[in-house]
Amino acid sequence: MRHSLSLGLALVCGFALGAGSTGAADPAPLTVFAASDLTFAFKEIAPHFEKATGARVTLVFGSTGNFAHQIRQGGPADVFFAADQSFVDALIAEGVALRETRTLYAQGRIVLVTARAFGAKLTELRGLLDPRVRHIAIANPAHAPYGRAAEQALRKAGLWEALRPKLVFGENIRHALQFVQTGAVEAGIVARSVTDVPEVDWVPIDAAMHAPLDQAAVVVRRSARPELGLAFIQFVNGPEGRPIMKRYGFLLPGEF
Amino acid sequence: MDFFPIWLSLRVALSATALTLLTGVPIAWVLARKRFLGRNALEAVVVLPLVLPPTVLGYYLLVAIGYRGPVGRALASIGLELAFTPGAAVLAACVGSIALVIKSAQAGFESVDAQLEQAARTLGRSEWSVFWSVTLPLAWRSVLAGTVLAFCRALGEFGITLMVAGNIPGRTQTLPLAIYDRVQANQMGEANALALVAVGIVVVLLFGLSRLARLRY
Repeated sequence: MRHSLSLGLALVCGFALGAGSTGAADPAPLTVFAASDLTFAFKEIAPHFEKATGARVTLVFGSTGNFAHQIRQGGPADVFFAADQSFVDALIAEGVALRETRTLYAQGRIVLVTARAFGAKLTELRGLLDPRVRHIAIANPAHAPYGRAAEQALRKAGLWEALRPKLVFGENIRHALQFVQTGAVEAGIVARSVTDVPEVDWVPIDAAMHAPLDQAAVVVRRSARPELGLAFIQFVNGPEGRPIMKRYGFLLPGEF
Repeated sequence: MDFFPIWLSLRVALSATALTLLTGVPIAWVLARKRFLGRNALEAVVVLPLVLPPTVLGYYLLVAIGYRGPVGRALASIGLELAFTPGAAVLAACVGSIALVIKSAQAGFESVDAQLEQAARTLGRSEWSVFWSVTLPLAWRSVLAGTVLAFCRALGEFGITLMVAGNIPGRTQTLPLAIYDRVQANQMGEANALALVAVGIVVVLLFGLSRLARLRY
């Protein structure tokens, strides 16, 4: 009993020690931390960049706020694409990101989405008052930039108080959209860049309804290859990146 | 399909389970057999990871082991960087699962009749020997149950890992993070396949263990 237990433990420990030694020899790819509204666009752009430069790119998608925390603590990003410029400015002010690389790369747009399962397609915000619309998904306005824009648009339309009981908060716009994709929520306000999925219909919301969603990118100070990071930022706004970004509904520098 | 997350998760979960056994079983024994100042505090600390939301716990952990944090700086002075490595994923899995080993093992040790241990001592056995020849053999089912729970929890650990190891494909993207990532990218087919693998691993493990338990007794 005792011996077989110790043997088992020793075997597992051997495995454990082995696990610690993986991954170190990998030639480091360019690591891009990107806000989740960029998921679809960047998955298309990255292969073009890899082909053009020969560098390998690792895309990490997630919440802008989380990424900012992680970069402060040494997160291995070379470049950070935030959904909101304030996070980039905070990192620059703290000396964690390189001021001279700060670039406004896009302006985000919000749209009104309706679940196809709902039957009717909503064409204006007032349509959300329809009693058949029982829930409305938006990203959490407390920390998600697109959620804040959705709140501003609903307030400006004078609907915020009336619709409040129907609101369901997602952690980010992808999460908010998933509520609608499953059909559990009838409608929502999310980023245009993520709405190309078969389960939803969408109409644009006038950009004058909310403060501009200025999205900034920056190279992280600890990056071992700042030039390559800056090259990626420029590539996104370059001749190969622009048409892709445009297709996903971003307004690009020079257009706003 | 990308097999890296499966492989990584297996290694992370096994490493974490080994580490939680090595640290959790002694803590459980101390909690079961010793009375000392701060014992209640220790009991509370042990279950804290089950109480705090994983992302919050992950944030605190990251502040500690990040390159500017106290632990991170200490590690850096010996040339180690833990945050955002597979090692950080192991740490996250340990923190998330150790309470399960400790509480199960503690209950097991407490159910062992202290008189049997006393008898072994009167026969000249050392404390170490009493533990291995009396306490553990009588409590092993509880320890095993806790270990299985801990392994499953480690395999499924998400929130803490997301914060301290990041979600870096090919480096620290574990199975749960990979599933989440595929769902975010609307690749439901691959997400479902990976979820199925996770379920498969646990089913095989539980089946194997129940066979093992039957063989022994």
